Amino acid sequence: MNDPNTTHGMTPEERLIAYLDGELDAEARARFEAEAAADPRLAAELAAHRRVAAQVAGAYAPVLDEPVPPHLVALVTAANDRAPARAPSRLGLPQWAALAACLVAGVLVGRLAWPQSGALAARDGALVARGSLDRALTAQLASDEGPIRIGLTFRAADGRYCRTFADPAEALAGLACRQSGRWLAVTTATLAPAAGAAPAYRTAASETPAAVLAAVDALKAGDALDAKAERAARDRAWVK
Amino acid sequence: MAAFDREIVELLPRLRRLARALTRSPADADDLVQLSVERALGRRDQWRPGTRLDSWMFRIMKNAWIDETRARSRRSAVLAPEEAGDRVGEDGAAAMQARLEARAVEAAMARLPEDQRLAVALVLVEGLSYGEAAEVLEIPPGTLTSRLVRGRMALAAQLRQDEPEAAP
Repeated sequence: MNDPNTTHGMTPEERLIAYLDGELDAEARARFEAEAAADPRLAAELAAHRRVAAQVAGAYAPVLDEPVPPHLVALVTAANDRAPARAPSRLGLPQWAALAACLVAGVLVGRLAWPQSGALAARDGALVARGSLDRALTAQLASDEGPIRIGLTFRAADGRYCRTFADPAEALAGLACRQSGRWLAVTTATLAPAAGAAPAYRTAASETPAAVLAAVDALKAGDALDAKAERAARDRAWVK
Repeated sequence: MAAFDREIVELLPRLRRLARALTRSPADADDLVQLSVERALGRRDQWRPGTRLDSWMFRIMKNAWIDETRARSRRSAVLAPEEAGDRVGEDGAAAMQARLEARAVEAAMARLPEDQRLAVALVLVEGLSYGEAAEVLEIPPGTLTSRLVRGRMALAAQLRQDEPEAAP
């Protein structure tokens, strides 16, 4: 695959920063690494920016460990006490949310991190991708290699972008759809151990469990996006 | 407590971290968190369950911060007194070094234009992807990239200057 558009329109600086932030696809990444290996000045630039990124992240990281001032917590709890009637009613959930909750509850199979560890987290009756799974679904192409593999990408009948994924480390496979800036798990299934045994020789598509493929069909999807359309959708940040 | 409120409480450490990256002092940061939480509570009906509460809160904070900086017509001339020094006495040498480095980052961040600082804070401090950061800032991905890159270039130049042993 040789797509000249991969870095089309990117300045050298944009490319370097996108590389550091893990926002280049595998091909552009490999090309950049080859260039950096052959160009000491580029390599030094890269090292400098890597250090800046670590410094900036490190400078603010300790804030997470600070105790939260009680008055900020009290803002939330006090508002709660003052206006209990305003708490959103579960009955008022939009239909799709209730539907999604049913779907998720109905198809949960096998080992699954519930509610708050690993690749998925429960959020108000829906399961959303987090951490490395969230990043892979957002940034990775089917052609990219990584600990998590992306299979099919397609648009559901309702217009959402959906992707199948396989995460051998979590023995997890599934289908997730992009909605309001996060990936909602529509289906998850246990990834057969055999599939994890020889990851180098399999693609996420070939190891997709039947339950996940059935869920793809259930979304009345059109054809899967080809590599070019997949990349274009990713580059538009999955905005329809 | 409703799930919405519980999640906001859980988000407070991250909101404080982002606010610290945007403002110039811990006190200003917590004021910004307070303003953002108040707005969020007032608009809880606008949050759609199943969507990301963190992105929604970051967007509220972004708007609150922009309103705030416009209203105060920039207080860049009057830097708030730094309050972070009160722990220095009990810190070891390594911690002191980290504090100094953090101080240099804070100073470099403070020099960035607002739009670049927002982009840098969301991507480097909060770890959002470009797509997520663009959604929070309500700007096209290309705009996000160019603000982020200009910010990163400025930070690199600034921090390189601060390094005593960085003379080429």
